[in-house]
Amino acid sequence: MKIVAVTACPTGIAHTYMAAEQLEKTAKKLGHSIKVETQGAMGIENKLTEADIEAAGVVILAVDIAVEESERFERVRTIKVPVQAAMKNPEAIFAQI
Amino acid sequence: MKELLQKHKSYLLTGVSHVIPFIACGGILIAIALAYAFQFHYVDAHGSPDLTNAPVFVQNLLTIGTKAFELFPAVLAGFIAYGMAGKPGLVPGFVGGFIAAMPQIVGDKKTSAGFLGALIIGLVAGHVVNLLKKIPAGKMLRPIMPIIIIPIFSAVPVGLLMLALNHPLAQIMVAMGHFLESLQSGSQIVLAMALGAMIAFDMGGPVNKAAFFFGAAMIEQQNYAIMGACAAAICTPPLGLGLATLMNRKRWSEEQRESGLAALGMGMIGITEGAIPFAAGDPFRVIPSIMFGSMVASTIAMLGGVGDHAPHGGPIVLPVVDGRIMYVVAIVCGALTTAITINLVKKFTEKTVTVQGGKK
Repeated sequence: MKIVAVTACPTGIAHTYMAAEQLEKTAKKLGHSIKVETQGAMGIENKLTEADIEAAGVVILAVDIAVEESERFERVRTIKVPVQAAMKNPEAIFAQI
Repeated sequence: MKELLQKHKSYLLTGVSHVIPFIACGGILIAIALAYAFQFHYVDAHGSPDLTNAPVFVQNLLTIGTKAFELFPAVLAGFIAYGMAGKPGLVPGFVGGFIAAMPQIVGDKKTSAGFLGALIIGLVAGHVVNLLKKIPAGKMLRPIMPIIIIPIFSAVPVGLLMLALNHPLAQIMVAMGHFLESLQSGSQIVLAMALGAMIAFDMGGPVNKAAFFFGAAMIEQQNYAIMGACAAAICTPPLGLGLATLMNRKRWSEEQRESGLAALGMGMIGITEGAIPFAAGDPFRVIPSIMFGSMVASTIAMLGGVGDHAPHGGPIVLPVVDGRIMYVVAIVCGALTTAITINLVKKFTEKTVTVQGGKK
């Protein structure tokens, strides 16, 4: 399945990127294709385009803070989890898909 | 209820995440300017830094740093409200937070509602805007809702409330300062340990910032000891963990040893967040170890009479610290405590550790 995700932690220098890495790794392992946008201290990186979101079956929001431009995801099924969950047990998130 | 609290926590964290770079920028610039003042004896009769006759560039650095720091209540409240209500939250949040930064005179002290005021007013602003959004607006009114109606009708009540709260909150800050000055050495140790534990606990998160803001607010009250204790505690988590990777290399994976060097660098400039990549992989061993080290550091600093004039921590503020030798002793002891503790309790690295932070 095509999946898009956003990660964002309060400080935006460590957890945000570690969570993104875990999501990418796990998706690959389970045979999904995934694109992860990070909203860290550098702002939005690897930004999800309209086309990315349109094509995705589900969006995973692994966030502890408010998501920037959250209106983009209004029309897609959303799974929202804390950043910690994406780092510690990403399989459990993918099991919800 | 639990969900409601969680939501509010994420609003507060949204504010904190936007304000961190302001604090780091302001804190470091202020530290540099004050360091210059102490180094070249630009001090007044009381020994406080006085840059009136210093080079203009240094004065300007201080101005820039101070302005970045003065923005923090406005940015904090603004982005708390933004996290809650989106763009329309920005106006009442920023205005309310800016009012919270207004100087207040309590007795013979100059202070402000600052951090405390910004937290409260940011949440209020978000709620007010969310209420206003519910008002059904006809076709005629809809375009002017977000640019005229909501900004004005949220900024006025939020601003009035903050203006009313300013003085009482400032009085609380001053009362806190008086209370701290009255503490005897026994309770000083308890206070220092509490500050150290808070600083290390979430490595730059809200608990850390609560202790930090407390120290920064007390600088305004001319009580430099609280920030002194915080400053020592701020840098020992990354320094201690970095040191641990150097002391016993076999215990750490290659990636962790690399993060160790980065952590040492972050520690030197007083960024507690440098410890996060370690704690994320093994929180139950790492967090107690760094709390222990920071408590040692803050207690030594407090008892050693260390004072910090700049709202920032780590070895980088050494030039603006009173009691420099004890400050160094506090940091070294704290970092060693963390390093030794973590190396004692840590298991030898399994080859398949899943989470490591190589990235910044």
